[in-house]
Amino acid sequence: MLSPCEQIAQTMGGLFSCSAVNGYTRIRTPYLYPDGDVIDLFLRQEEGEATLTDLGETLRWLRMQSIAQRRSPRQNKLIRDACLNHGVELFRGMLMARVKPSDDLSSAVTRLAQAALRVSDVWFTMRTRVFESITDEVEGFLDERHMRFDRGETLPGRSGRTWTVDFHIRHPRRSALMCVLSTASRAAARGIAEHVTSEWHDLSHLKLGPEALAFISLFDDSLDVWNPEDFRLVGELSEVAFWSKPDELVERLVA
Amino acid sequence: MTQGEFEAIIADISKRIDGEISWGEDEDHSPAVEFRAEISSEAGYPLFVRGSYNSEARKLSYVLIHRGEGRIYGLCLGIDHHNPRCDHVGDRHKHRWSEGQRDKQAYVPPDITAPVDDPVAAWTQFCAEARITHNGMLHLALSASGGQPVF
Repeated sequence: MLSPCEQIAQTMGGLFSCSAVNGYTRIRTPYLYPDGDVIDLFLRQEEGEATLTDLGETLRWLRMQSIAQRRSPRQNKLIRDACLNHGVELFRGMLMARVKPSDDLSSAVTRLAQAALRVSDVWFTMRTRVFESITDEVEGFLDERHMRFDRGETLPGRSGRTWTVDFHIRHPRRSALMCVLSTASRAAARGIAEHVTSEWHDLSHLKLGPEALAFISLFDDSLDVWNPEDFRLVGELSEVAFWSKPDELVERLVA
Repeated sequence: MTQGEFEAIIADISKRIDGEISWGEDEDHSPAVEFRAEISSEAGYPLFVRGSYNSEARKLSYVLIHRGEGRIYGLCLGIDHHNPRCDHVGDRHKHRWSEGQRDKQAYVPPDITAPVDDPVAAWTQFCAEARITHNGMLHLALSASGGQPVF
């Protein structure tokens, strides 16, 4: 009877299969992307050295799950960190590793496959975005623009009710409170606009005095769910900004 | 989204894409080319389609994305797949959303016969099964590298 170590030594290799594809040796690994698709790696020999790559398939897989046009700065940071951790080069969207004649190919395959797994896990940050809101994305944007902010601050309204604002942003010229309005449902859109309007009304005392705060309502307009009436409603008590125009948002914050 | 809502979306024959579709480079300038097209429908479902073709790796995908749920339907050619119960599906499969397993479950579509290197034929078959009318044409997919080595 084989020991566990002998079983691994004799059978592990069988989990990988190789075939010739388009001038590459395609290595079909036993590892899976989060949806069950199989991770393939490609090996090409050139001038005595070999390169192992995913040919851009991991980031392509990520894009195909995403509702966003581009990855966020935070997601790119996670990807760079995964590549750094596994000693993998990111070139034109491809995860790559050189395999010198003295190197162990199986080690390189494992390293690159592990990097592909880690990078594909960025999918979980997209999943959160789909279910919750775009506030994480907005936070990443504010970080990128070096804006100082507090997230999820609770403030007492004139009525005695406590409200949570998504962001309290401080700039040398002025400070602002910002609520992010986001939903995938047209049916819910009006309710959200009414809630934010109530919030601004109850917090309106903060717009007065020497340290008056600006109120900004940021609409996630990547979805066609809002009516002009929603913009008019919150626009009576706050400045309206749109996530599709981030530069205009910054202009408002520093005005 | 409930299973009923998903089935209603797929069954809705008013889904359509207007205009021609061209492939372009992705944000990473990788060997793959891609496109994105909005889907309109009488019910106003928040849907769009993404297409992606990596001629270097010989992999092609068309996916239907719901802005509230993510991918709900997708065709993969040249990409191997294992379902959650570990059954091997193979490298010609379709993902179909379900309440229990979201988009992880795939099956072999008998109606998709186009080869991986014929994205236009695969697009026609994908649209037919997903009940999407494309009022326009999908241009031929050119290699992002223009025939040059990708590295």
